[in-house]
Amino acid sequence: MNRNSREEGLAEYAHINYLKPEECRFSLTDGGFLSLTLNTETYPVVFAYRAFPLSFGDMYISIRDEKDKEIGIIRDLAEFPCDQQELIRLELERRYFTPVITSVIKMKEEFGYIYWEVNTDRGMRRFTTRGSHDSILPISEHRLLIMDVGGNRFEIEDFRTLSPKIAKQIEALM
Amino acid sequence: MHRLEPLPEHIIVAFENHGIEPSDVVLCAATDLDRNGNFAEEWLVATREKLCFLSGETISPPQRMARRSNHRKQQWRETGYREIALADMEELKADTLNGNGVLMATVKGQPEILCRYSNTMSRKFGQVTRLVSKLMEDKELTDADFTEEVYRPTCPTCGLLYPDSARQVCPKCLDRRALFLRVLSFLPKYKKEVTLILLCMLASSGMQIASPYLGGRILFDEVLTPGGRYSGQLLPMLLLMAALQLLSVGLSICYGRVNAGLTARVVFDLKTQVFAAMQRLSLGFFTSRETGNLMTRVNQDAIHLQYFFHDGFPYFIVNAVNLTGVMTVMIIMNWRLALLVLIPVPIIIYAVRNVFPKLWSVFSRRHRRTSALNSMVNDSLTGIRVVKAFGKEETETRRFAARNKDVFAINMRAGYITSTLFPAMSFVMNVGGLIVWSVGGWDVLTDRMSFGTLWTFIGYLGMLYGPLEFMTHIVDWWSSCMNSAQRIFEILDAVPDVAEKIDAISIPRIEGRIEMENVVFGYEPGKPVLKDITLSVEPGEMLGVIGYSGAGKSTLANLISRLYDPQEGCVKIDGHDVRDLRIADLRNQIGMVLQETFLFAGTIAENVAYAKPDATVEDIIQACKVAQAHDFIVKLPNGYETMIGHRGQNLSGGERQRLAIARAILHNPRILILDEATASVDTETEQGIQEGLERLVEGRTTIAIAHRLSTLRNADKLVVMDKGKIVEMGTHEELLELKGHYYKMLENQRQALKIRGVDVSEQELAGRRVG
Repeated sequence: MNRNSREEGLAEYAHINYLKPEECRFSLTDGGFLSLTLNTETYPVVFAYRAFPLSFGDMYISIRDEKDKEIGIIRDLAEFPCDQQELIRLELERRYFTPVITSVIKMKEEFGYIYWEVNTDRGMRRFTTRGSHDSILPISEHRLLIMDVGGNRFEIEDFRTLSPKIAKQIEALM
Repeated sequence: MHRLEPLPEHIIVAFENHGIEPSDVVLCAATDLDRNGNFAEEWLVATREKLCFLSGETISPPQRMARRSNHRKQQWRETGYREIALADMEELKADTLNGNGVLMATVKGQPEILCRYSNTMSRKFGQVTRLVSKLMEDKELTDADFTEEVYRPTCPTCGLLYPDSARQVCPKCLDRRALFLRVLSFLPKYKKEVTLILLCMLASSGMQIASPYLGGRILFDEVLTPGGRYSGQLLPMLLLMAALQLLSVGLSICYGRVNAGLTARVVFDLKTQVFAAMQRLSLGFFTSRETGNLMTRVNQDAIHLQYFFHDGFPYFIVNAVNLTGVMTVMIIMNWRLALLVLIPVPIIIYAVRNVFPKLWSVFSRRHRRTSALNSMVNDSLTGIRVVKAFGKEETETRRFAARNKDVFAINMRAGYITSTLFPAMSFVMNVGGLIVWSVGGWDVLTDRMSFGTLWTFIGYLGMLYGPLEFMTHIVDWWSSCMNSAQRIFEILDAVPDVAEKIDAISIPRIEGRIEMENVVFGYEPGKPVLKDITLSVEPGEMLGVIGYSGAGKSTLANLISRLYDPQEGCVKIDGHDVRDLRIADLRNQIGMVLQETFLFAGTIAENVAYAKPDATVEDIIQACKVAQAHDFIVKLPNGYETMIGHRGQNLSGGERQRLAIARAILHNPRILILDEATASVDTETEQGIQEGLERLVEGRTTIAIAHRLSTLRNADKLVVMDKGKIVEMGTHEELLELKGHYYKMLENQRQALKIRGVDVSEQELAGRRVG
């Protein structure tokens, strides 16, 4: 068996259904959920999960039905029409709620905790992280995921774009 | 009445505009996210008939406004309002997503997202879900429903966010004085030692202060200078100085020895108390996510407190005495020069507060990177078989090189900083000396001051800057010690959720009747794991509990042995509510064999006798014989004395399980719980264990939980659970006839066996039960 046909064989065995834009029609229910019509079949409520939430947020999105069964995988969201992308992003944004910190107003270390006051793309927020380094997870060299004590997540796209003072403070914590 | 959370005035007004009178409100809670995922304040209010949502916006961000709440009213503007009749709603659910959660329900048959909240609020919305669901069932909310503490994210006094959401403790508003006194309250037990230490310290401080004076002022001006008061009396002076130094050394040895003993004892007492308190706490305390965190810090906290007793507190006193003493003597001798000496002090304080922390952060980064490198090496070497098997030696080497480069870079940086900072600091400190030499020297030359005084000043300089550095840290250090103390006291003071009643009934011999009546239980509020469970088991009966994982089977077992208390309904043993029974009586007569057998570090014999330490050797052998463990044990080189647990002999899953069964046999409980007791062993081993189990089960009430149905062939009655509910109940034959869940599961397992080449007919599988 040559390599190609063997891989095809594996794909068949894995039953991965890569969703094609022309076969799918996503829509938003009145209740705020995503629903999907795939060819002729309609799923009243579907959920979207990112397989690589940190590195490829728009790729390999698993679409699952109410009973958590995978309907298929979106290989790349960009292949879908804009309106469809928007709907799926809405669902993804809810599942992976991670406000992006645009500026840090104040960052104070006290009593072993760090008290942040930040502007995010979702509005202003105050939160607290543990003073230890495991509350800041570097996704890439300059991109950071911050986890606060309440289990909320925040993202800094590039900490060097923050004010030099804050950037230094953050660097010291990493 | 405002329930759960007080409604602010402007929200009350806004709800009134929609016809919701404050008196109708039975429950209210605020969220911090709007439906689009923007930070905003939305209010949820429930009346007896409906659930209402009010959203609005403040012109300035809400969090900042909280500090100036009087401005808030004017700047709040309603942006949306929605209400849903409770009668239209079904299946209210709080769903936790990443970083936020949603409250959803089926409204008029359609699933709908009602509101969103950040994870900070998830506990509160768990409560909301439970309470609103109760309203939906037309039940009244009583005070008992609100006993659970309402979650508040910020400290009501200072507005600081609570660092730990599970503990509403504000580090800023902590009553540190009270804590400090409580920490000190450990000391009276050691009155003698503490007095001795203080005396030693004060005496040695006095001598330290006297020493430069003797060596400078007296030696130069009075002994070595002709015409001085003790002119020429060098030998007595030297003897005096030597005696003083000897005494000082003697004192510090004495102090050190007493202190070492004292600290060790205080910390020993503290750790013993904390550990005893931890053991007393209910299981719920350990399994909840937040307190898990608390536990890991306890050890660290004890170490912090140790520092407090060992280094902090004594040195604080010594330094304070030294500082005031030295300054006083200097001012008396020459106040002008004394003030000049203080010139470098601001620079030192600045450096200690601002420059040094950077160095510590570099050091701590160096430490982290080095640990990362070490753990990588450790990983790679432990997994060397995998590395070699996949031929990844070079990748590993590259990985090591990358980490090593990081360590190299930070080492360089630390080196640069230290080699700049320390000389600079020592220069600053020397500046003080230069000032004294120049100004004092001039004074000496112009005969305004004696050389002895100048020499004394130089001696004091060294005693001034060290304590100053210590004192600049004292506030931070004290705060962190008090935080540690707070956490430790929290554990010491924690009240177990599962507590014994004062008038608990003693029940020396349990008959073994178990009843559960309408039991509802969940580990987290709003997420019931058991829903309305009712069942009964007669004494001596065996009840089999079946269900897919997550169905709530183990939880059921946890409630019977009262590791947790149900939120609704009750669990009865021999007709008594378990909450009325003495906990010791209950636990002594309930035995558990779990899937994960935990063996403590110790010998096999000790492990088997864990629940009955006074068992004789023969009892132990007999139990092991029954459990079919005896044979493999005697073949071990050290027999019953083989060390197991950490770093001990490796036993196979089946062997461990047989020890667990032997342990349970020796314990001889009236009620036996087998929680997936044979799940982790293969079919062959299971058959070996099965015999041991059958002997164990005889004559006692048994609850056997399993997903492998063959384990339950002796059960008198079977219960099938699905998603927290009992879906089928009856004997094997009755359930087969139903052709429901049980039948399906049996069928599935038969198929699975077929794949493995074991062809078992349904009759045979069923037949295994009979024979």
